[in-house]
Amino acid sequence: MCKSLKTLRTRLLEISHLGRDGNLQSCFSSLEILYAHYHGVMNWSPEIAKSPERDYFILSKGQSSLALSAVLEERGLFREDELNAFCKFGSRFSMQLDRTKFPEGGIENSAGSLGHGFPMAVGLANAMKIKSCKNRVYVLAGDGEMNEGTMWEACAFASGHKLDNLTLIIDDNDSIGRMLDLSPLKAKLEAFGFSVYDADGHDVENLQNVLNECKNIAGKPQAVIAHTVRGYGSKTLMSDNSWFHRSPNDEELEMLKKEVEVFEESDD
Amino acid sequence: MIKAVGDMIKNESDTSLFLVDIGVWAFRDILRDYPDRAMNIGIFEDGMISLAAGMSLGGIIPTVYGISPFIVNRAMEQLKLDFAYQNLQGNFITTGASYDFSTLGYSHYCPEDIGTISMLPGFEFIAPGTASEFSKLFSETRRDGNPTYYRLSDHVNKTETDVEFGKAAVIKTGSKATVIAVSTTLDMVLEACKDIDVSILYYTTLLPFDRQTLSEHYNGGKILLCEPHYEGTLAYEIYKTFEDMPVQLSGVGVKREILRKYGTKAENDVYSGLTAGNVSSALCKLLK
Repeated sequence: MCKSLKTLRTRLLEISHLGRDGNLQSCFSSLEILYAHYHGVMNWSPEIAKSPERDYFILSKGQSSLALSAVLEERGLFREDELNAFCKFGSRFSMQLDRTKFPEGGIENSAGSLGHGFPMAVGLANAMKIKSCKNRVYVLAGDGEMNEGTMWEACAFASGHKLDNLTLIIDDNDSIGRMLDLSPLKAKLEAFGFSVYDADGHDVENLQNVLNECKNIAGKPQAVIAHTVRGYGSKTLMSDNSWFHRSPNDEELEMLKKEVEVFEESDD
Repeated sequence: MIKAVGDMIKNESDTSLFLVDIGVWAFRDILRDYPDRAMNIGIFEDGMISLAAGMSLGGIIPTVYGISPFIVNRAMEQLKLDFAYQNLQGNFITTGASYDFSTLGYSHYCPEDIGTISMLPGFEFIAPGTASEFSKLFSETRRDGNPTYYRLSDHVNKTETDVEFGKAAVIKTGSKATVIAVSTTLDMVLEACKDIDVSILYYTTLLPFDRQTLSEHYNGGKILLCEPHYEGTLAYEIYKTFEDMPVQLSGVGVKREILRKYGTKAENDVYSGLTAGNVSSALCKLLK
């Protein structure tokens, strides 16, 4: 794991500690996916965050809101230390982001309830087609979120309208394993008319390559099933599911930071 | 409605129309001529409303046409989170009103639409009483940056009124009481109030409610509220208008119950007391 991703994980732990809340397992699971989009895949920078030419990133799995905030902070979108106000009264940052609080752009949708972001992304991609715009639309969903019927309604529309400017990335951290089993997800998405790829969801280079390959697909929306591990990057977060919704106290913060520091890929 | 929406699609390239598999024959020319922007999207109201929000986010103003309960009830969370919460523009035209589809049963009724939508701050709610009133109000609001709900009924007023978005029309000024005629109740109210010294205010914009005009017609605080939806839904607006003043409020409207009678729309009106005779009785009682 590269140093910047360890730094981001440490930052996530610190913000969660300050805000006394967090979906750290989900954030750690999707961090490389988010990082890859904003490094070498999307046409995006803080300077063009409101430009009509930018690519769009829609966060459908709202549990990764904090991770998205941290990545955008790392890209220089937010004022220094503003994210430290995470979850404080009057803050712009919370467990689920509110688009209307970011007039400078960067947060394209308000997340929170699952099954909304992806159909919104499909509508957005359709709008780009109507306007003959070249922008691409990327949307991150969770594998558990694929239980929502609206996800499949949106899939049907996306393929029916040949939205090849749309890429759905599924953070497949086996949430679905403990609920309604939708496997094989790949075959289902293919049956719905998607061009489907598998990727190592913790390998930034692999993700960048797959996402960039998606840009060459014509006539079909694409789906990338990014295989991930909940809490990846900390042994405790990977093994203890109480960390799905929890923030570290002083002692836990230090312990988890050390785990992130010493984490090796072979630990997963 | 067909012409107003059709003209919009023809003349404004940043607009779109989604049909929920109703009105397909009526809109056939528009569907044929503008397939990218006008489509019979299919029968998936909840996902479709999110999709419409995405279109709005991308600069294409969506107009959705469907049967009221399938928009209001089934897609409530999408209206709340994708439009109200995100402050996105969109138009939702519904047919069916409270129980226009009387023989189809409760699944197709929506006397709660205004009550439900009024819980979504920022939403506009328009209930025109005639087709031409719809056209005028639609032209005033469909690009105003807000989510707007249009409640259409097949049972319209015979009386045409010069309406304006956000304003109640003062039909008549009197001194003994004020009668609020909401949308399609106007004819009934006019008949009941013939030769009675009351003010009649006609409301076609229910959200935002024109409190100013009402405040100018206090008339001793005697208010009769006539609503084509669940009775008393707009009582909150009366309370907010006359917050520090005594008010004697009475009203007629759809009975607050699960409606199971079927029959005709007119029979359901009689069942709920939405008749000129009942308005007249309520008014006499109020004036005593």
